Amino acid sequence: MLAKSNKEKENNRVTSATDARGFDWWNTSGVTVSLPCHTANMADKEKKKKESIFDLSKYIDKPIRVKFQGGREASGVLKGFDPLLNLVLDGTIEYMRDPDDQLKLTEDTRQLGLVVCRGTSVVLICPQDGMEAIPNPFVQQQDG
Amino acid sequence: MNMAATPTTNPSQLLPLELVDKCIGSRIHIVMKTDKEIVGTLLGFDDFVNMVLEDVTEFEITPEGRRITKLDQILLNGNNITMLIPGGEGPEV
Repeated sequence: MLAKSNKEKENNRVTSATDARGFDWWNTSGVTVSLPCHTANMADKEKKKKESIFDLSKYIDKPIRVKFQGGREASGVLKGFDPLLNLVLDGTIEYMRDPDDQLKLTEDTRQLGLVVCRGTSVVLICPQDGMEAIPNPFVQQQDG
Repeated sequence: MNMAATPTTNPSQLLPLELVDKCIGSRIHIVMKTDKEIVGTLLGFDDFVNMVLEDVTEFEITPEGRRITKLDQILLNGNNITMLIPGGEGPEV
């Protein structure tokens, strides 16, 4: 019903507007026509449907580190995952980041055990031994 | 629930939402993106992991204290859920 009223609005706006090829853009006849370029895009989208760019099965049963939106970090052994990036971690340790903490992760940790991590909240996944803390490379030395 | 086909995943691994499903009927501890945590009995959830919980206790981590104890079922919006801990009892405060 809603779609009909939108089309009626369009028809009232422009009486007739056909391009050089005679294509009736404003659809004054009232018949729905799908544009050629639109259908080509839909075919492309269907082909690309659920291809993951990264295969997490390499990390199954390995310790990984996960960072979340909101600043939380956790690490645990990856036990399972799905295409939406929901994760199952075992033996999970959560690192909390307080204002005084900055990035001293060792201060506030807690054991969580078997945990499901929401894929919508995950921003980074890396192997546990794949990262190390380095001194801040962006700090400018004040030479005067 | 429509599970998308993944030729690369090993079918014998543990799917996250299956684990949540097993937890229905028992206590679950939900950690939000913010400093809020919810502990309750899981009654159910949907594709977006919105959750229905019962006998719920809400915790705020930073102000150091338990906030509200609610009963009679809540619907928790899945938008802000970060972690789900089956059988969890919440923070030790």
